Amino acid sequence: MSGEVLSLKDVSINRGDTPIVHDVSLTVAPGTVTVVLGANGAGKTTLMDGIAGLAPVTSGTIQLDGAPIEKFPVYKRSQAGLGYVEQARTVFRTLTVEQNLLVSRSGKGDAEKVYELFPELKKRRSLQAGHLSGGEQQMLVLGRALISDPKIILIDEMSLGLAPVVVRRLMHAVKDLVGLGIAVLLIEQFANLALEIGANAYVLRKGRVVFDGPCDEIRGDSERLHEFYFGAMPTDAVVEAGGENQ
Amino acid sequence: MLNSLVAGLTSGGVYALLGLCVVLTYRLVAVVNFAMAGVGTMGAFIMVSLMDLGLPWPIALVIGVVAGSLLSALIGSGLVRWFGEHDERTKAAVTVALFVAIGAIGLRLFGSTSTGARRFPTVFDSPAFTLGDVVVPQSVLVSLAFAALITFGVGLMLARTSVGLRLQALSERPSTAQVVGIPAPRLAIAVWAAIGGVSTLVILLVAPRLGGDFSTLSGLVTTALAVAMVGSFRSLPLTLLGGVLMGLLEGFAASLDEIQKYRGVVPFLVILVLLWWRSRNEVWDTAHSR
Ligand SMILES: Nc1ncnc2c1ncn2[C@@H]1O[C@H](COP(=O)(O)OP(=O)(O)OP(=O)(O)O)[C@@H](O)[C@H]1O
Ligand SMILES: [Mg+2]
Repeated sequence: MSGEVLSLKDVSINRGDTPIVHDVSLTVAPGTVTVVLGANGAGKTTLMDGIAGLAPVTSGTIQLDGAPIEKFPVYKRSQAGLGYVEQARTVFRTLTVEQNLLVSRSGKGDAEKVYELFPELKKRRSLQAGHLSGGEQQMLVLGRALISDPKIILIDEMSLGLAPVVVRRLMHAVKDLVGLGIAVLLIEQFANLALEIGANAYVLRKGRVVFDGPCDEIRGDSERLHEFYFGAMPTDAVVEAGGENQ
Repeated sequence: MLNSLVAGLTSGGVYALLGLCVVLTYRLVAVVNFAMAGVGTMGAFIMVSLMDLGLPWPIALVIGVVAGSLLSALIGSGLVRWFGEHDERTKAAVTVALFVAIGAIGLRLFGSTSTGARRFPTVFDSPAFTLGDVVVPQSVLVSLAFAALITFGVGLMLARTSVGLRLQALSERPSTAQVVGIPAPRLAIAVWAAIGGVSTLVILLVAPRLGGDFSTLSGLVTTALAVAMVGSFRSLPLTLLGGVLMGLLEGFAASLDEIQKYRGVVPFLVILVLLWWRSRNEVWDTAHSR
């Protein structure tokens, strides 16, 4: 287990009592983006919820910086250095931007660093987070993860419902995070956008890993991606699965 | 008449305090706490029992309040551990069961209505001032001031301090709060402990006037719930107002000979009226938030 920030070994995760993720092994190296792809319902969110402690891990081990965390409650995993940007922009709506950051701050976390990354948040620091635009809310959730001084940030579909220009801006921010030495585990519906900034990729189908390798290998290869997503079954949904390609 | 209103005001402050405890428990840890007054009564009875044994009152008071806090914290940690994933209804039902259990234990330890009434210390009975020929006791001022302090003090604490903000975050999005590292179980238990301590103080304040038996005092939770409903289980200032109005209403009912003996029904009537009033809008406004 040398040098990996996050390492999963044969991890299975339930939703309620239903097994959703089966025997997933996965590693994330420091200062890199690792991409998780898969069709809707493949179990990507469940995987992240399991890593963060929101869904029960039924077997296997999860190590953060070499220490097992799978028995920790959610907040201890966060304090151990795990940031999580959940699906659906979970800002604390009644708190201001500044307060959202304040309640999440820990360790060497610094609001100025967040404002540097997202100047638009600084301008709105005393606005209630519920009044922010979707893009700004997503920036705040990212900032909230950053200010908790994490070793790794899990990011679940931050592009959901946002304009392409905003999505590109967020992707840049993710690259900046990596530049700060933070590892990122990224779920993204725009597969090629994610594969561009990623080093390694995993593809999930029905809760199992069906591909595991460098992003180069599948970048732009919609046909192969589609096969991984749905099994060998050519249809014209290829474009959908491959996401936008530029 | 004026006399009854002054008496009503004293109760009003206490009712406001009880209502505030219910509202805060609901807002901060999402539990409708039927056992609250029972817990406070337990703490209060531990205090008077220790005084009966000859302990000086300050020591007995501290032990009583700590006992109330601990009992409440114990209930809180049980709810966190075993019912953390359950919905609000289940948690409320658990506190109803605890209310019954505490009542039974209290009856066993401290005797029934007729046999178990204790002489609670009457610290604030001396007159503060006289209004015409009506004597206003200090207890009126003390209970109202205490209620105002909780209302605005806690309001400020929630809005300004970092613990307060974390509590707000926790109440808005419990799981996300933990995702950003807020230690939810520890905070929740601290809230329970604080509520238990304050409830004990409140029960001590009202006990001398209500006769000082266990079941009457722990039964005050009905009034507390009615008052909390005035504040929609959310607004602290409205809850304060609701408590004072409830006290005045009761004082008024007490002053009229014909209805005097029914005044215990007042909280239930208030609950019914509020339920009816609110349910008119329910169809249009089913989305409810804490
Ligand atoms: N509470 C639950 N009980 C049982 N099954 C559930 C529960 N919640 C989700 N599921 C199922 O788990 C599967 C995986 O869901 P998950 O949200 O992890 O998928 P996903 O890959 O994130 O999909 P998407 O791309 O749409 O976000 C789905 O089939 C879903 O229906
Ligand atoms: Mg998902």
